[in-house]
Amino acid sequence: MKKLFFAGLLCITFTASASDDIQQLKEELKKQQEIINQLQEKVKELQKQQEITEETKQKLNQLHQSQIDKLLSNPFSQAKFVPDISLIMDFSYVSRNLTDVTYKAVNIPGFNHGLFHSHGGNSEAPYNAERGFNFNYSELYISQAVDPYFDLVGIFHLGEGSFEIDEGYFRTKSLPFNLQLKGGKFYSKFGRLNEQHHHVWDFVDAPLIYRAVFGEHNLLEKGAQLTWLAPTPFYLMFGVEVFQGDNENNFNRNGFLVPNTNPINTTPTDYLKISDTKKPNLYTFFIKPSFDIGNLSILGGFSYAEGKTRIDHLEDETPHALTGTTKIYGLDLTVRYSIDSYRYITWQSEYIHRNFDGVRYGYDNANNLITSFLDKKQAGFYSQLVYKFDQRWRVGARYDLINKNDVFVNNTDSNQPDNLYKYSFMIDFLPSEFSRIRLQYNCDRSLFLDGERKPNNEIILQFNMAIGAHGAHGF
Amino acid sequence: MRILISIILTIFIGFNIAKADIKVVTTYPYIASIVKEIVKNKATVESLAEGNLDPHFIVPKPSLVVKLRNADLIIINGAGLEIGWLLPLINQASNPKINPSSSGFLDLSQFVNLIQKPETVSRSMGDVHPEGNPHFHLDPYNIPVIADVITNKLCRLDVSNCKFYESNNTDFKERWKKKLKEWNEKLSILKGKKVVGYHKLFDYFIERYNLNLIGTLEPLPGIPPNAKHTENLINIAKSQGLDYIFQDVYHSQKPAKFLAEKTGVRMIILPHDVGSIPEVKDIFGLFDEIVRRLTQ
Repeated sequence: MKKLFFAGLLCITFTASASDDIQQLKEELKKQQEIINQLQEKVKELQKQQEITEETKQKLNQLHQSQIDKLLSNPFSQAKFVPDISLIMDFSYVSRNLTDVTYKAVNIPGFNHGLFHSHGGNSEAPYNAERGFNFNYSELYISQAVDPYFDLVGIFHLGEGSFEIDEGYFRTKSLPFNLQLKGGKFYSKFGRLNEQHHHVWDFVDAPLIYRAVFGEHNLLEKGAQLTWLAPTPFYLMFGVEVFQGDNENNFNRNGFLVPNTNPINTTPTDYLKISDTKKPNLYTFFIKPSFDIGNLSILGGFSYAEGKTRIDHLEDETPHALTGTTKIYGLDLTVRYSIDSYRYITWQSEYIHRNFDGVRYGYDNANNLITSFLDKKQAGFYSQLVYKFDQRWRVGARYDLINKNDVFVNNTDSNQPDNLYKYSFMIDFLPSEFSRIRLQYNCDRSLFLDGERKPNNEIILQFNMAIGAHGAHGF
Repeated sequence: MRILISIILTIFIGFNIAKADIKVVTTYPYIASIVKEIVKNKATVESLAEGNLDPHFIVPKPSLVVKLRNADLIIINGAGLEIGWLLPLINQASNPKINPSSSGFLDLSQFVNLIQKPETVSRSMGDVHPEGNPHFHLDPYNIPVIADVITNKLCRLDVSNCKFYESNNTDFKERWKKKLKEWNEKLSILKGKKVVGYHKLFDYFIERYNLNLIGTLEPLPGIPPNAKHTENLINIAKSQGLDYIFQDVYHSQKPAKFLAEKTGVRMIILPHDVGSIPEVKDIFGLFDEIVRRLTQ
């Protein structure tokens, strides 16, 4: 076919130059012949190549046929659906004037039985518990969209000897009217700091009033939350939560048997039955308005939590138990002034008031059961100022005060100390968004042992780092 | 309780009397400016971020959630530029129309050829974007592409105004073409000139106008300059020659000024977005000002 084409081409060339000089014609012919020779060679070459390819193809075909049994595919692989996974670790070095034995024994009077006390039997130590090196936690975050309707988040808290589900919840994405439902186990949206995780806190430790009222785990509960973003020109969020009431410092939900004589020293003959609370037991409500004035962002909040109380300390050295109702009120205010992209000043404060009304069961020296009315009205606040003065540096100061500690037993004031305070100063260095090195000094005057104040001064050097796919943090 | 409910209802009715216009929210002002060219007065357009701040570090203020609450469409830059701030806002807004998988979500980076896409990534390389360099809007040739994509999306969401949007887009692209010609002429003098930037911010622009980026003041993306790295840069600049130092409006100018002092090369503060400096009022103004500052 190709040759025919070239012959045709030659013909046309020949007729076109017929009228020209013969010499010229000959030269032209020579040139054409050369081109034809070149083309023929090329065609040969191509044919050769074609042959080689054919051969290879055949070889490959044979290979495929003989190996068809061995060919593997992975049609059910879902590797592309790997969720976002991140790991956060927290280490610290602690220098403290209280010995570890004393630190374990002290308590915040009127509030709790010490920072290490636990009611469920699994007495996990607080962070930075010992002098010297501490491995506080390693936290595993896993999250992904379930489908177009839900997100699922799991946060697993791995201590040296423990594996806890810190949070595990779903969140809706497509409810109408700016409603959102969250269900599972999660930190309540009560107050400002409660919902935040340790690694985003501005200080190494939680404010005094949080530790005193909620204990070391803040308000972490199983239940459901409904929030609504109101259609106002400024930010206004309403929310309600219903929880089982797991918080050991305030709520709990399971009843118990109160022995008629001190169970430590005697063998009781009769028991007073305290029934379970209604389940779910804890209800919360919150309103959070926010607006901007230029570079100033203001976020406020009012929160309320109420539930029945069932606190069982009957196996303690001095056995006692509480039943009643606990109501907690919270007010918070955060003001942030952004200087530029990298510098800001935030002022954050929270006031928390707790009201307990109920009955205390205890035993007198003769080991007899004593039932007394117990009424607690306790309140305190923290106020902190954090200044990010450089892309990588922040400094902060916090003042904690518990100024109301009225504990009435049978309407008689039990004269608990009501000037529990603490000063904290911190400086942190952020090499990148994923690492933080922080130095904090605490001057803590809230801890007591046998009715005597135990001043605690501590310096904590904290290292907090994150790897993997970790989502952005909110305001 | 009844009073509370009635107050809430009043607020609800008061602010929610249905508006006919669709509401478009963009992450950055340059996108808002392009959208305005297309929708004119037929839709409301708002940007979340302000142009004078570092686009990587926008504070997710609750007031921004309010803008997203009743948006019909969110248009983002994408390629990881919003990774540090946008998702918490979308989650809080509880607005199913603008979820990342919904029809009211538009990621512009999907429609542009991204440069500097790394083969492998590690955080030890600094704040790298696995998707490639996200600052693609600084190539003026990408703007008509973006305008087409936005027009297409708007036509799907608001069919009744589609003709209007399309003719505005044609008109916009016509004016853009004329401007491009003017800018190209003025910028032809930049060919082969050597540049140092703070961050890999102007790389699309640099590539388009055949400039030569010989280094950045940041040793790695997102890592602030240090003395040793700057010293190195000064040596490179001295041996290879240097013509311009590009400085953005939001980073500290100290390292650039130091380099300028040591090399005798002029530091030029370039706007990167609409509103980054008061002179830049829209997308035309952005490139007008860049060209003016580079050619004066």
